[in-house]
Amino acid sequence: MIAVLPFYNIQVLEYTNFLYWSFVIVAAIILGLVTFFTYRYTTKYKAKSPKDKPQNGSLNHKFEAFALITSFLITVFFMFFTVQSMKEIQTIPDDPKPDIIITGHQWWWEAEYPNSKVITSNEVHIPAGKKVLLALNSADVIHSWWVPELGRKIDMIPGMTNYMWMYAEKPGEYLGTCSEFCGMQHARMRIRVIADDEANFKKWQEEQLEPVITEGSALFEKGRNLFEQKTCTNCHAINGTSYNENIGPNLTHFASRKRFLGDFKEVNATNLRAWLHDPQKVKEGAKMPNFILSDQELNALVEYIIHLK
Amino acid sequence: MSLFINIQEGEDQLPEVTSDKGRLLWISSVDHKQLGIMYLWLALFFFIIGGLEAMLIRAQLAVGDNDLISPEFYNQLFTMHGTTMIFLVLMPALIGLATYLIPLMIGANEMAFPRLNAFSFWMTCLGGFLMYFSFFAGGAPDAGWFNYAPLSESNYSSTQGVDYYLVGLILTGMGSIGAGLNFVTTILTLRSPDIKLNMLPLFAWMIFINGFLILAAFPLLNAGLFMMLIDRQFDAHFFIPSSGGSAILWQHFFWSFGHPEVYILALPAFGIISEVIPVFSRNKIFGYKFVAASTVAIALLAFGVWVHHMFAVGMTNTVNGFFAASSMLIGIPTGVKVINWIGTLYKGSIRMTVSMMFAVAFLIDFTIGGLSGASFAIVPIDWQLTDTYYVVAHIHYVFLGGTAFGIFAGIYYWFPKISGRFLSEKLGKWHLWLFVIGFNFTFLVQHVLGILGMPRRIYTYPSRFGSWEIFNMISTLGAVMMFVAIAVFLWNLFITLKKPRTAPKNPWEAWTLEWATNSPPDLKNFEEVPRVHSRRPLWDLANPDNPDKRLN
Repeated sequence: MIAVLPFYNIQVLEYTNFLYWSFVIVAAIILGLVTFFTYRYTTKYKAKSPKDKPQNGSLNHKFEAFALITSFLITVFFMFFTVQSMKEIQTIPDDPKPDIIITGHQWWWEAEYPNSKVITSNEVHIPAGKKVLLALNSADVIHSWWVPELGRKIDMIPGMTNYMWMYAEKPGEYLGTCSEFCGMQHARMRIRVIADDEANFKKWQEEQLEPVITEGSALFEKGRNLFEQKTCTNCHAINGTSYNENIGPNLTHFASRKRFLGDFKEVNATNLRAWLHDPQKVKEGAKMPNFILSDQELNALVEYIIHLK
Repeated sequence: MSLFINIQEGEDQLPEVTSDKGRLLWISSVDHKQLGIMYLWLALFFFIIGGLEAMLIRAQLAVGDNDLISPEFYNQLFTMHGTTMIFLVLMPALIGLATYLIPLMIGANEMAFPRLNAFSFWMTCLGGFLMYFSFFAGGAPDAGWFNYAPLSESNYSSTQGVDYYLVGLILTGMGSIGAGLNFVTTILTLRSPDIKLNMLPLFAWMIFINGFLILAAFPLLNAGLFMMLIDRQFDAHFFIPSSGGSAILWQHFFWSFGHPEVYILALPAFGIISEVIPVFSRNKIFGYKFVAASTVAIALLAFGVWVHHMFAVGMTNTVNGFFAASSMLIGIPTGVKVINWIGTLYKGSIRMTVSMMFAVAFLIDFTIGGLSGASFAIVPIDWQLTDTYYVVAHIHYVFLGGTAFGIFAGIYYWFPKISGRFLSEKLGKWHLWLFVIGFNFTFLVQHVLGILGMPRRIYTYPSRFGSWEIFNMISTLGAVMMFVAIAVFLWNLFITLKKPRTAPKNPWEAWTLEWATNSPPDLKNFEEVPRVHSRRPLWDLANPDNPDKRLN
């Protein structure tokens, strides 16, 4: 579940923390005053009879000046802390060297780790306790990256690269979602970020870099051949093979992921089979075509893909 | 000194009307009153359609992983709901009230350009129906009311829907520009000779300022719409990044129109509230000058705040900081206006009619909308909450709890003038309470949904998120209450329109000139216009021993 507050890991963001609570308090006071006086005046000065004459009093016009000056001072206060907090959250070096490059696609995520050359999709692993610099862009329409507990929201715009910091204090799984309307399956473009401790993160990276398995049972072999014949390779890359098209999600070590289809379905043979059988039925509008596979073909392909660890 | 002045114009200067019978006459009418009424009917018609769309949306979201509505249709629904409510309901309702009332309030017999007035109405009407025709032409627009590129470009939105959206909005935009021009010219040139600009009723003043806003903002929208139409039809690549265009450029065009548009929809509602509250409090408005002047400040600042819709786009802190400052500043004149309205209640003699109750509900709910709006000026909060249900809650507090409550207050207030009949107060109170309670149920919890991380514009959400499901269910139940409230309102309209015309000239003992005419006014509004010496001419006439201070 998504935590209510804090949005940001505000232990590391002192101004932001202060700014949030100041706003909540000031807004509550203003709303309280407006509600109170509206209620009090409408009850106190209600006409007793239709012929009632008003007492023709009026508030002092100095009150307007008082309200103006007060609200201006409040504005200056919030402006100061807004600027401080913006700097705290969004200060990007002039020559940014991102730890992860994330590309939004209709409706899944591609993640590339330039330092280790790991490429994965949908499930993003980060080291906990360390600020991670993300570079974000899009392959098609505008998406927006938002994992509330780990950092700000920033749009992913075709033709430009945005940068932001992400920080997870503790290891764990953090959920997020695409936050810019990006077409039919915007709802099912959710994010799962897995923060590992230093050792586990290293281990994960090493595992991802291992060569893909190429040998297995007869069914596995059949599935691998089908993968080539059915033109899966036209879109999906598997590192360490000659399949390197980068249109659909990278499938190297697919089965090591927990969920697929933009955090929509759990990775298991049943879900994978349903997906390969009729993608439009599982996630309407998805770019994956229906290859009208026979039962035997489905069994073989599932067997192949589910062993890509 | 005579109490009245004769209007010099001859019959031939009035629009030619050969008969006052027959419904066909309405189609050819250039009379501002008939056009105003037609605007209001048009708004009501689309309000029902937009409301039904909202009910479908709420039905779909009531539970998680719902497959009642396909994602494709859902996207069309929320796109059309937003577009309809803004361009085909709130705009025509406000322009309609203004078209009806402005000449009456300033002692004129017509608008400055009666034929342009008719043109504006029919353009709005045509644009609206054209947009809805898309449902029968292969699919409604599905890229949101904000229609972001490149999702709205032909390679991602392949139906004709977005083309209908573009052409439809270009037409309604032309209509709005015509209306804005007409209001400005009418108020500048056709005021009764007694009325100086600083004596205008506040509603007329707001519409006057609003006219300038419309004239400056809508051309920006139409320019953007035309560019996108050329993009889609002739591959101009204005907004397609892969071939040299810019996706952000569309957002700049759209929001540099879009934010003034918020005030275009808010100012007339402020005007209505500034008429209704003083009349039913039996008290002069507290701070006429401040309300009028701050409106000008709002109008100017309105053109310098649009980037707060785009804080998440990734512009520099300097740009974001500038627009954060301007967005905070614009809250000041708006916020102090609320103090003016509450100050008007002070030591009044308040009559709680349905109209007044809507105005009071406006005060509180609009304040909530204003405060949640201010939170978006604080950039770090925006970086979390933009494009979540918190924004959905915010815009509904501004447009529904603000503008629409204002319009309802205005409808109950001016209905006797427009139709000569009183809407039932008893049914009106049912309408009010069901609507206000339902409204707050629906949208208050949406703030929480946004804070819990629910993004906007999703056709479903995972049912394993239990708290989302609870809040969405509450929201849907609230929407059902509003639905019932509108049914009560329609019933009220229906039975009232069957009653005989019994309303006197000035049933609420109001003070502005429209109440000096018959209810409803004759084709020629005024045979003679009362002399005006202050902001409350009818008060002066009724209380010759205690008139307001002379202003001319």
